[in-house]
Amino acid sequence: MTMAASTLRRRSLRLERVDSVATDATVRHIDQLDSETLGAVYRAVSGGRPVTTAETDLEPGEVIVFTDYYRVERV
Amino acid sequence: MTQYVIIGDGISGSSAAETLREEDPDAKITVITDEGEPLYNRILIKEHAKGKLPEAPISIHDEDWYAERDIELSLNTYVTSVDTDAKVVNTHESGEIPYDKLLVATGGTPTQLPVENSDADGVHHFWTFEDARGIREHAENADKGVIVGAGLLGIDFAAVCGAQGIEADYLMRGDRWWRYALSADGAEIMHEGMREVGVEPVFDSGVDHFETDDDGHVTAAVDPNGDRYECDFVGAAIGLTFNTEFLRGAGIEQDNGIVVDEYMRTNVDDVYAAGDLTQFYDVLLGERGQNGSWGSAKEQGRVAAVNMAADEEAEGFQWVSSYSITHFDFPFLSFGHPTLGDEHAERKYSDTEWRRIAFKDGKIVGGVLIGDLSPQSKFKQLMREQRVVADQADVLLEQSVDLDELAPPQEQ
Ligand SMILES: Cc1cc2nc3c(=O)[nH]c(=O)nc-3n(C[C@H](O)[C@H](O)[C@H](O)COP(=O)(O)OP(=O)(O)OC[C@H]3O[C@@H](n4cnc5c(N)ncnc54)[C@H](O)[C@@H]3O)c2cc1C
Repeated sequence: MTMAASTLRRRSLRLERVDSVATDATVRHIDQLDSETLGAVYRAVSGGRPVTTAETDLEPGEVIVFTDYYRVERV
Repeated sequence: MTQYVIIGDGISGSSAAETLREEDPDAKITVITDEGEPLYNRILIKEHAKGKLPEAPISIHDEDWYAERDIELSLNTYVTSVDTDAKVVNTHESGEIPYDKLLVATGGTPTQLPVENSDADGVHHFWTFEDARGIREHAENADKGVIVGAGLLGIDFAAVCGAQGIEADYLMRGDRWWRYALSADGAEIMHEGMREVGVEPVFDSGVDHFETDDDGHVTAAVDPNGDRYECDFVGAAIGLTFNTEFLRGAGIEQDNGIVVDEYMRTNVDDVYAAGDLTQFYDVLLGERGQNGSWGSAKEQGRVAAVNMAADEEAEGFQWVSSYSITHFDFPFLSFGHPTLGDEHAERKYSDTEWRRIAFKDGKIVGGVLIGDLSPQSKFKQLMREQRVVADQADVLLEQSVDLDELAPPQEQ
């Protein structure tokens, strides 16, 4: 149980709002995401819910352009 | 060894090239583009024009990407004609290029307003990275703007004006923005979004002509009512003209775009088309459809390539496209074909939340979500399943949609 929980936590991502983007950042627009990933981003942004890597194709470090810019961070 | 030629290095052409290399490792693949740079992210150039995103993250491929895959890339090369009997593509810069199989993925060009002085200095159209650079540079120094074209691309100009501190009038024909997909309730949310960034929607308007100064720079737009709107910056987005003039005489069926089946084949042997410019057979709609979105263009390029390499009907295109507007505090998403359908259901939930669903023969064919995107994947699922649900629109208009509340699907 403890193992599973910690594995899950390691795979959790959150979206951090950012004001600017570094020139070497990877940036994707919300319309480049599949509908499951889009749904997960929307839930994370509107409800503050963490996202798991399993349900999305988000990459830690990349920036998603939605109603603001959000950097994908490992929790 | 099969020789594939792809005209256009936008997302559809580029995704086709990548897929062809995976499917046919020994083939000769040539990608021709009249642009001076390889594939970039067309849906992010507006963020550059807004002054928010630097150039580098917008680039997707560099020239090495093509070299590593042994794909020949011809930049700055304009295709002038195609001889489908001799199977050659004629170009301005590189002469004749023979093909065994050809993909036309040339997208469109913004239509110029058919009014006096629409080519004046300061009147912008928006399609390429070069356009975005020019718009950004000008917008940073402009004070007063006019926007024309009440659709998905026009609103990007409104966002540029908002982000760059340009006070602007958005001149629209009719009584609202995107009147083909939104009712007054939905459109009013968008109008409020515009006003909040300093862009004033003006209804029952449009442009009759532009005025210029002695240097040819735009100074005002005059609408058909005779009202004059001073401006030093204009964004015009009234539609796209598809880039097919080089196909004159090639015998390829066109109807406001290139007609293809669900395998992306044209009526001419060994000629395929993909991306914005296709009039494709939409298996979900049961008739011809046209999409103008990134995800759809990418998938059409991939599907075309799979069928080109297999030389048979290996995979049909089946896709629910979606298109977002991210410029305001609230999200906006249109999906499928929101302007089509024979029946509609809609509801307003709050000052920033509204939903509309379009049905054809009882099945969802598209819709628009403003403010609350939570049901998007459920609606797309119902579209893919082609469920008859129009008679249960109340369930779909609940704030929180539970598909289990729908009656089980009937045998159809
Ligand atoms: C400002 C803007 C914002 C957008 N926002 C969104 C969005 O938020 N979400 C979304 O899903 N979609 C958006 N889109 C639409 C999306 O970008 C397009 O649907 C998609 O890029 C189409 O790709 P394509 O490959 O079909 O065509 P294109 O990207 O237009 O590529 C066609 C290429 O062919 C080249 N070409 C044309 N004629 C010739 C010729 N004779 N010889 C050689 N080359 C030629 C062109 O120069 C071009 O490079 C936006 C578009 C723009 C312009």
